[in-house]
Amino acid sequence: MVEITIDGKKVQAREGESVLEVSRRLKKDIPSLCYHEEVSPFGACRLCMVEVKEGGKWQLVTSCQQVVEKGMEVRTDSDAIREGRRLAAELLYYKYPNVPAVREIAQKLGVAVKDEAIEANECILCGLCVRACREVVGAEALTFMDRGLGRENAEPEIGFNPDKCIGCGSCAYICPTGFVQMEAVDGKRIIWDKVFHMAKCKICNRYFAPIEQLEFISRKTGVPVERLMVCTSCR
Amino acid sequence: MKTVVFSSWNGKVVDSRKATVRKKAQEELPLVKLEGASYSALMGWNGIVVNDLEADIFSLTRAYLREARKLSCGECSVCMIGIDLVLDIMERMARGEKIDDIEAIQKVVKGVPQTAKCNFGRNVLVPVGDAITYFKAEFQSIAQGKKQAKEDDYRVFVSAPCMEACPAHLDVPGYIELIKNHRFADSLDLIREKCILPGVIGRACTHPCEEACIRNNLEGPVAIRLLKRAVADYDLQTETKELPRPREEKKERIAVVGAGPAGLAAAYHLRLMGYQVTVFEALPKAGGMAAVGIPDYRLPKNILQHEVDVIERQGVEIKFNTKVEKLDVKQLEKEGFSAVFVAVGAHNGTKIGCEGEDASPYVVQGVDFLRRINLGEKVEPLEKVTIIGGGNVALDCARSCIRLGFKKVEIVYRRSRKEMPGNKEEIEEAIHEGVKITYLAAPVKIVRKGEKVTAIECVKMKLGEPDESGRRRPIAIAGSNFKIKTDMVIAATGQKPDLSFLGEKGKSSLSTGAGTIAIEETTLQTPVARIFAGGDCVSGPATLIEALDMGNRAAKAIDAYLRGQKVDVGPRLSALELSAQREATGAIRMEALRPRLLPVDERVKNYEEVEQGFTAEEAVKEAARCLRCYRIVVWK
Repeated sequence: MVEITIDGKKVQAREGESVLEVSRRLKKDIPSLCYHEEVSPFGACRLCMVEVKEGGKWQLVTSCQQVVEKGMEVRTDSDAIREGRRLAAELLYYKYPNVPAVREIAQKLGVAVKDEAIEANECILCGLCVRACREVVGAEALTFMDRGLGRENAEPEIGFNPDKCIGCGSCAYICPTGFVQMEAVDGKRIIWDKVFHMAKCKICNRYFAPIEQLEFISRKTGVPVERLMVCTSCR
Repeated sequence: MKTVVFSSWNGKVVDSRKATVRKKAQEELPLVKLEGASYSALMGWNGIVVNDLEADIFSLTRAYLREARKLSCGECSVCMIGIDLVLDIMERMARGEKIDDIEAIQKVVKGVPQTAKCNFGRNVLVPVGDAITYFKAEFQSIAQGKKQAKEDDYRVFVSAPCMEACPAHLDVPGYIELIKNHRFADSLDLIREKCILPGVIGRACTHPCEEACIRNNLEGPVAIRLLKRAVADYDLQTETKELPRPREEKKERIAVVGAGPAGLAAAYHLRLMGYQVTVFEALPKAGGMAAVGIPDYRLPKNILQHEVDVIERQGVEIKFNTKVEKLDVKQLEKEGFSAVFVAVGAHNGTKIGCEGEDASPYVVQGVDFLRRINLGEKVEPLEKVTIIGGGNVALDCARSCIRLGFKKVEIVYRRSRKEMPGNKEEIEEAIHEGVKITYLAAPVKIVRKGEKVTAIECVKMKLGEPDESGRRRPIAIAGSNFKIKTDMVIAATGQKPDLSFLGEKGKSSLSTGAGTIAIEETTLQTPVARIFAGGDCVSGPATLIEALDMGNRAAKAIDAYLRGQKVDVGPRLSALELSAQREATGAIRMEALRPRLLPVDERVKNYEEVEQGFTAEEAVKEAARCLRCYRIVVWK
């Protein structure tokens, strides 16, 4: 256990916990868009800002990435924190004014949000899909393609490798804006423009998972594919 | 020389726009100099410098932001969107949309440095703030439609403290970012643009980049060298990414003399451009000092072999055991070569200069000793060996002797530990392995008994005033002579190139007074037409990465020469001090990953690699510590 001080109170935090995790456990209100407890933090949205005392001065840091250290002093609310969070929210709202998840957080943080034109499902580059695919599933089909010196892409984007995708849909599930869409039509699943043929459950005869996903699980676990052809309801 | 009209560089504001007599503040200002040219106005990460009252600061700011967005990676909302927001407002102002959103710009410019994810994001908008503050009238005129915003051509320079420290100017933040995002193959591609031997460099480089790393101010520098090694190791352990093939074949043949780092780099780049390349290598192996200088416990044979194989597969022809006995340009032309790149290195050890140094099996040159071991020769260990010198050759000899079974190994160096030119890590590990180092002593006589050696007589030294190398000159203390009992002496006090193959006439036209080959700095041309040179044979013994850089530049220079064009050197800005920045780095504290070393008692029995590299996952974690300290400068 690591003892830290949050908003003036001494608190016991777990070794390796982030300030965000501790704060939310204490029911403090820390906004975020790119954080999910099942994957590593990334610090893309800049909304979870808190202040940590460093050399006698309060410094703004992203609480999702800041790991607790013995004796750390944290505050989760101050003028600087509110201004920092609001700026991030304003900028996100400026670029994605019709994305519901962005509008919701922007409004909450005091940004003047206009009536939406048409709901948009844009990618806000939170990177959650990339991390879910790599850390939870292990398929590694998605990559964060940064902009940079001599790089080919003029805009940052999420790169998709169809050869590695198994069609599990974890990215669609974790995406906060609905950018990653999963379509089901005629025994097929379409995600990131890749078409997957669905396997039918041996027992109830319903389509339940892409064949490629079952083959992937079979490779990882050593369980033969035939044994995996039963949906979770029928198991 | 134009007088500075305004400067906010490094936070010091000098504003003499209204002065009737221009303040000649040249000496005080940390001026940004543009070599060989002048500029009217400049905007960089550290501020604005204006030399011309008529300079269009609005256009300058817009040009700067257009360049800035290219470097804004996209991993954090505030930098990426902040830059676009300010640029949007400015583009609309320029189009005459009459918006006066100067306050919005000010808010963004003030808030992004507090909240951005990396060092680039934290500093990039600072000069835009200066523009809005000190040139507000200009922005307002454009917003109100009273003045037109001009489109114009601006030059741009991008670097980082680590990039600038690297002799090859490798895009360090770029390749580290690719590792962080699990793009090892892409990282390798980027590294190979400037460094064709990443496995070698990732183990043996002197890493000036790490000395310049801004993260030194926090937990310690990013392990830039080991990250490069991780990429090379990953390539070796998984599917090897072959080198890119030339897009077109050229008919010109280029000869390269020496397959060391400079020769290999030149050969690779020339081949990539489409030239037919033949490398003549005197030894049975390629790699130069990397092959026959650096012992296996620092650089295992298979690492260098893999990197040479990959170059050969790309189409470079290497003729081993083929020494060029005489450099004859006319003969080479007859054989169809259009140009020659001489990169023979510096493989002749220099004598200590004391009595009793005549050759015997017990008085040897360090580089010869290392070469023999590296080529597989057996060396019988003796009771005691004394090594004279303080550089990496001396340390390599010492640590090799420990492994060969010499009972006592002692280094004698004429200055103190502080002045030793060898790598700090090498010195430490040598001491851990049992090497004794005697400082402030120099040999005066090797006591001989025929071929054999019985002792070496030394005199104590003290440090006086600095000499040409900047280090304090060692001065002998008269009458302080003492003897060290020893069975063998290894001289490792310096190396010179072997220029005998140039012939007497060649030597007089091609060599400098110091026994190296003379070249013109930007074209790498020697005084003799069609002969280019680079690496240790030009610079004297230097580092691997400097040799690689000369090889890279030689390829460009030879290509330019054959096409009758000038070498494109790029803009040279000086007096820049890339480590200076006006905003705090604001980094999340992350523990620095250190390499694992084999325990000493395990090491000294064999030549197993001492340093264990990072795993891919460790590399990804360490790569996240990079602060991305890219610096942009835009000027006209």
